[in-house]
Amino acid sequence: MTVFRRLTWMSLLLAAFVVLPAAQGFSQQEDMDMDVVDQPGLVPDESVQLPPQFQRQVVLYRTNEPPGTIIVHTSERFLYLVQGNGRAIRYGVRVGREGFQWQGLLKITRKKEWPDWVPPPEMIKRQPYLPRFMAGGPGNPLGARAMYLGTTVYRIHGTNQPDTIGKAVSSGCFGMVNADVIDLYGRVPVGTKVVVRQRPSF
Amino acid sequence: MLKTSSLLTGGAIAMLVASVFVPVDVAGAQTLKAVKDRGSLTCGVSMGLPGFSNPDDKGVWSGLDVDLCRAVAAAIFDDAGKVKYVPLNAEDRFKALQSGKIDVLSRNSTWTMSRESEFNLSFAAINYYDGQGFMIRKSAKKDSALALGGSKVCVQSGTTTQLNLADYFRANNMTYQEMTFSDADSALKAYDSGTCDVFTSDISQLYSERLKLSSPNDHVILADVISKEPLGPAVKQGDSQWLEIVKWSHFAMLNAEELGVTSKNIDEALKSQKPAVKRLVGTEGAYGEQIGLTKDWAVRIIRQVGNYAESYDRNVGTGSKLGIPRGLNHLWSEGGIQYAPPIR
Repeated sequence: MTVFRRLTWMSLLLAAFVVLPAAQGFSQQEDMDMDVVDQPGLVPDESVQLPPQFQRQVVLYRTNEPPGTIIVHTSERFLYLVQGNGRAIRYGVRVGREGFQWQGLLKITRKKEWPDWVPPPEMIKRQPYLPRFMAGGPGNPLGARAMYLGTTVYRIHGTNQPDTIGKAVSSGCFGMVNADVIDLYGRVPVGTKVVVRQRPSF
Repeated sequence: MLKTSSLLTGGAIAMLVASVFVPVDVAGAQTLKAVKDRGSLTCGVSMGLPGFSNPDDKGVWSGLDVDLCRAVAAAIFDDAGKVKYVPLNAEDRFKALQSGKIDVLSRNSTWTMSRESEFNLSFAAINYYDGQGFMIRKSAKKDSALALGGSKVCVQSGTTTQLNLADYFRANNMTYQEMTFSDADSALKAYDSGTCDVFTSDISQLYSERLKLSSPNDHVILADVISKEPLGPAVKQGDSQWLEIVKWSHFAMLNAEELGVTSKNIDEALKSQKPAVKRLVGTEGAYGEQIGLTKDWAVRIIRQVGNYAESYDRNVGTGSKLGIPRGLNHLWSEGGIQYAPPIR
């Protein structure tokens, strides 16, 4: 109960401090991502295995959140899909770099296969060599699938750089290897609750 | 007259009570003094169990259980290195505590009722919730122990593991074929060669046994935990202050994790205005002093040993060869049952 109340409160905070400023100036319908490590055009070797701890696995996980909820532990670099009966499917993710991490409650508002990529103006300024538009496909930094979180610029998406899983390098998005994001995409509908947790600050 | 006599009686009772309890208290609180006089903590550990207590080729001990000893030493001496390790086999471990050969036993020992009563010892905390689980081949594509009906299971004979296995399958109306072996290594070899579909043991063991298989990555350990094996440090009964020191050393590491305090940001935490953080790091209150330590007792632990997550990851979790998921050992607020009372 307390956890739920706290989350509700945090989502209000989030709306006030994170979501609104972040959403300003961006069209919500465009596919954007601001990851500084992006390497557009790089086609990932999908046969490369992740380190064991970041491989998709069923783990013991007790929670009051109902089955079907996604819970991201930013500091652990894990995304859990609650299964009920005290277990969850755990995926390795890459998370926001320092200053680009956030927490709260959002819902998946849209799903897209092989999304197009439109680097936002801030990113073009920093990296003028980037394409203004890149059609969805194997070399696209957003990878095979994207799930949009609320009306924010944040997404759960695939990646063409499997070696970034487990690292804090993004601008607040959660990146997964394509095999994992395809697996997750098939399990969660639009409307799925996404709880993002961070290490508390002092 | 009547009043005086009752006062006298009351006074006599108070003195009696005092004379009974004060000496016990003084006699009981000797461990901390003895440790300080000696200049080091004597800690009973295993003969060598990777992840929990294990010496390297230079004789330097590390592990989750070793970190508990280092935390106690850090709290007392502000030096986590002031620990003398005494390797003990399963048979000698509790006697070593009784005889005073060691100050604390931190040796992957299961907390049971009879161990406390028969050996006059107290378990101080549970620093690792273990329990029996199952390992299967990834290719079996099963993610629940309830789907193991009809399997061939390799297990060590004459163990509680074998009994738990029987109970679990019976309770869930599943049949299985048991293949028993007198030692764990033979059972594992038989599983590796394909004699069995399933290998069962305590989950912490399954992760270290998996490393010995010809192709570890082809095997998964199921999330199910079918028995209770709470592992933790124990002390001799009769010194409540010492019990508190060991207990709160573990709780300090858990509370630090919950509050986001790590070995890396401890200096920042000292400047925190959050009341719970202030109480942990001693910028508010005198909690350490109340158990015979200093105000900065927890800071010493966190700086030198880290919080519970740091210790877990380094020794048995994602930063170690074992790679055991947190599971039951996650904080209560993050999917597990590790829970520390608050410092207040």
